Amino acid sequence: MVQSGGMKKVVVLAAALASLGRPVLMSQPEQSDARLLGSFIPVTAGPWLSEADQVFDAASIFGYIDGAGEVYRSYNMKRLVARRFHKDGKPDIVVDAFDMGTSGDAFGVFTHDLEGKDAAVGQGSTYKAGLLSFWKDRYFVSVYAEEETPETRELVLELGRAIALAIPGEGKKPELLKLLPSEGLDAGGVRYFHNHSVLNYHFFVAEADILELGQTAEAVLAEYSGSGGRSRLLVAAYADPAAARKAGDSFVRGYMPESGDKEGVRTENGKWTSRRVLGRFLAVAFDEATEEKAGARLDAVEALAGPGKAGRA
Amino acid sequence: MIKRSLTRRDFLKVASAAPLAGALVPALKGAPGAAGEKVRVVLVRDPSPLGSGGAPPADIVQKMLDDAVCALLGEKDVVKAWKRLIRADDVVGIKTNVWRYLPTTAEVEQAIKRRVMDAGVSEEAIGIDDRGVLRNPVFQKATALVNARPMRTHNWSGVGSLIKNYIMFTPQPSAWHGDTCADLAAIWDLPAVKGKTRLNVLVMFTPLFHSVGAHDYAKEYTWEYKGLIVSRDPVAADATGLRIIQAKRNEHFGDDRPLPMKPHHIPLADTRHHLGVSDPARIELVKLGWDEGALV
Repeated sequence: MVQSGGMKKVVVLAAALASLGRPVLMSQPEQSDARLLGSFIPVTAGPWLSEADQVFDAASIFGYIDGAGEVYRSYNMKRLVARRFHKDGKPDIVVDAFDMGTSGDAFGVFTHDLEGKDAAVGQGSTYKAGLLSFWKDRYFVSVYAEEETPETRELVLELGRAIALAIPGEGKKPELLKLLPSEGLDAGGVRYFHNHSVLNYHFFVAEADILELGQTAEAVLAEYSGSGGRSRLLVAAYADPAAARKAGDSFVRGYMPESGDKEGVRTENGKWTSRRVLGRFLAVAFDEATEEKAGARLDAVEALAGPGKAGRA
Repeated sequence: MIKRSLTRRDFLKVASAAPLAGALVPALKGAPGAAGEKVRVVLVRDPSPLGSGGAPPADIVQKMLDDAVCALLGEKDVVKAWKRLIRADDVVGIKTNVWRYLPTTAEVEQAIKRRVMDAGVSEEAIGIDDRGVLRNPVFQKATALVNARPMRTHNWSGVGSLIKNYIMFTPQPSAWHGDTCADLAAIWDLPAVKGKTRLNVLVMFTPLFHSVGAHDYAKEYTWEYKGLIVSRDPVAADATGLRIIQAKRNEHFGDDRPLPMKPHHIPLADTRHHLGVSDPARIELVKLGWDEGALV
């Protein structure tokens, strides 16, 4: 039993997390998943001692982080184990370890907030203002010091490295990223997501879901820079070519109704937006300097999709 | 994102806040500003040092609130002012906010409670609650509500606002998260709250102007603004707080830095739900006290 003196709260070893302090009722396999997730987190962090774990699922996460839980739900989160570390007179440190179900969604939720410097933890990480975020395998982990000091900064990084080391496997990034042409790509700014609310968070397109992403599509948004300035490329993958065509038609109606039979339009800022349906994919190049550059960007996506896989609609 | 010219996406943003035909809920009759007159919002600030809980000393908070309420209602006597808001036979719920990193603060809660009691309400008829309001017997019988919470950025709704503070009056708050909380103002039409709100207090002691991480919070992105925004119109108070948050973001980041998640529930509370006024041109902002760094 590990205890932090000042808090008068029951604290437990990580191995016992599934039996105490749990806001959700879990089945045996779920308990096992939570126990596994908790086992990646150290029980102490230097002189900081841990409180009882809290375990949440997609339904109960609001009881922990209120509406911000929607971000994790939008990436299909399965489970969260939260462990708070306390030392009297020092800022608390909180570990939030998410089992996202797939490595794609672990990567995706990591890309939601890319502020900060690479901390070389896990398969991708950022550190800023006392917050370390990283992903590895199907897990997304946040380690957060409620106040950043030189001491807590070091502990946060130490905890993160220990957790990453304890996660045995590695995961693959979403296949959809392979459709992003490399020329001019800001590789550190790629976002992967499923719905239009998250798209709008990164790049507002329209209030309504005119790309018909729903919650089941996959999408990547990337920034490019080049002689024509900065531009963006969105590639969305749908269930089948018919769904992609329908989404393409919806996008044209909602965003570029004047385009007619043309692939692109010059928008009010003098730049070009073009779209192309490629099999079950829809690619949209935003804010390219010229019509030709927009077309070239889509050509590059088409080449990566492969003629056999994509096929223009 | 730096905007150099009006883009198609900007147009689509503006269009989304335009009045919609067939609004989802009827207008709240008699809501402040419904007649098209300017709505009064009072911003009061005090430079006194903040305590460890993030609030000025209790006596300073009381004075700030008193000054603001008097200015809001055009009264010199604070008790007279409160008696215009609260009747002696009212049952009063003070809807607070207990969010770990930025709570309403006990100083604000107690300052409100004191004046509600000065208006003649017995202590037993006053409740202070956040997450338990639906189970709280005082709130279940409440005839009047005072709404008090801090403003902060929020990764889903754009900002945590006075409008949003009533989400705990719904049995399933997450049911209101659709379209990034667009229709939160419709909550104000539910029987538990409809027509009951007498005063809104937006706490701006240490607002959060930028969200990071799972908890939406980093102390680095708060600042000591040391203010309260007080109004009878929650939308006008929120719109004013949002202007301050936006101005701070621009100042801090050195460029035009809109909130990544658009807080559209505030303009939609006006244009779609007619709960109050969000247009600064229709808001009379009265500023009291410390003016340095007011940002509005």
